[in-house]
Amino acid sequence: MSNAPAIHEIYLLPDGVDKVVETKSTKIPNASTFHLEKEDHTLGNLLRAELLRNPKVLFAGYKMPHPLDHSVDLKLQTTADTSPLTVLQEDVNSLMRELGLIKKRFENEMTLHNMQSSDPNGMPYTVDRAYS
Amino acid sequence: MNIDHHSGLSFTEAGGPQIAIKEVTPTTVTFVLSNTDLSVANALRRVMIAEVPTIAIDLVDFELNTTVLADEFIAHRLGLIPIISHQAVHLNYRHECTCSPYCEECSVLFSLDVSCQSENAMSVYSTHLVSSSPAVQPYVDPANEKGVLIAKLRKGQQLHVKAIARKGTGKEHAKWAPCTGVAFEYDPHNKLRHTTYWHEEDARKEWPLSAKAVEEPAPRDDEPFDYKAKPERFYFTVESTGALPPTTIVTQALDVLMRKLAEVHRVLGGIAEAQGEPVVQPTYNL
Ligand SMILES: [Zn+2]
Repeated sequence: MSNAPAIHEIYLLPDGVDKVVETKSTKIPNASTFHLEKEDHTLGNLLRAELLRNPKVLFAGYKMPHPLDHSVDLKLQTTADTSPLTVLQEDVNSLMRELGLIKKRFENEMTLHNMQSSDPNGMPYTVDRAYS
Repeated sequence: MNIDHHSGLSFTEAGGPQIAIKEVTPTTVTFVLSNTDLSVANALRRVMIAEVPTIAIDLVDFELNTTVLADEFIAHRLGLIPIISHQAVHLNYRHECTCSPYCEECSVLFSLDVSCQSENAMSVYSTHLVSSSPAVQPYVDPANEKGVLIAKLRKGQQLHVKAIARKGTGKEHAKWAPCTGVAFEYDPHNKLRHTTYWHEEDARKEWPLSAKAVEEPAPRDDEPFDYKAKPERFYFTVESTGALPPTTIVTQALDVLMRKLAEVHRVLGGIAEAQGEPVVQPTYNL
């Protein structure tokens, strides 16, 4: 009775649809568009910004073609000594390491914080206290 | 050895992004993320709100409702009750399960059976909900032991409800969002001019300084505008609904973001192999 899009279309990748499709440009050398299915500004902007910090990248930009289509188009041009596919793999890789490091340092800080803080009663303050 | 291919510096010791936790309470965590890009900080913020899974009531079956409130009104209120979601990591999403319509791998059953016998109005709270799983209970704030008010009943009124709670994310419905809010701030002195303060005569007299202003040196009056400067310190306060401890929201959000990137990396590797291009092997571990 309604034409509202099904809510799972936001996150559920349908059978037979590829998560990433590379379309090489026929007009510009070393340029590709990567179509990321079921992703949004979270990954689009993260990848674009990381790519722009790479000296091998000549152009990087992304768009969400339509607010009701849950996909992102990432356009990328690189220098001639490499390819967009290689550069994107490398930059996804270095983002992963950066996030892994943030997680590790956050957990270290949590341990440190739990050791330093304590209750007036002398009970060590743990982050999970309310959930035991 | 982890080498950052942009800077060529070793990533392991002092370099890279930094975290400083300022305060932890049962429902909030305040921290500073520094030496990273705005896009990384913002991706973390977005994932904490929309993509960290929790458990919330999703399907409500009314066996009897003689209260003055309509079924859908009560169903909506039940959906918004924060439920302790440590078990969410072990639960299947509905679309991951082959069952019909639900099973214990993907759902937790709640029942609510109340009737008012007294002359006074009876209040029904989230603590009246009975869960099928001891580990999955409505969150109760220590300052408010009765829980969340669901409805009020007059003498003779009854409410008999079976509710199914499922795993989901804030992307699908805000009831699954683990945070009530994420405070996110950078550049308290607006040195980067990412914002413009509306003013009558003097913006500096009319706008109060941010509480974070003490963390960074104020610009001198004669300081030229640095158009190449980038934000580097990000001030976060994550406030939990109670579904997950606030620090867990942060670490799980980082996991979710890493899993997203790992999936993209895996698929890109497959494309590279099929096209005969170099496959970049992962140098991280999940
Ligand atoms: Zn199931």
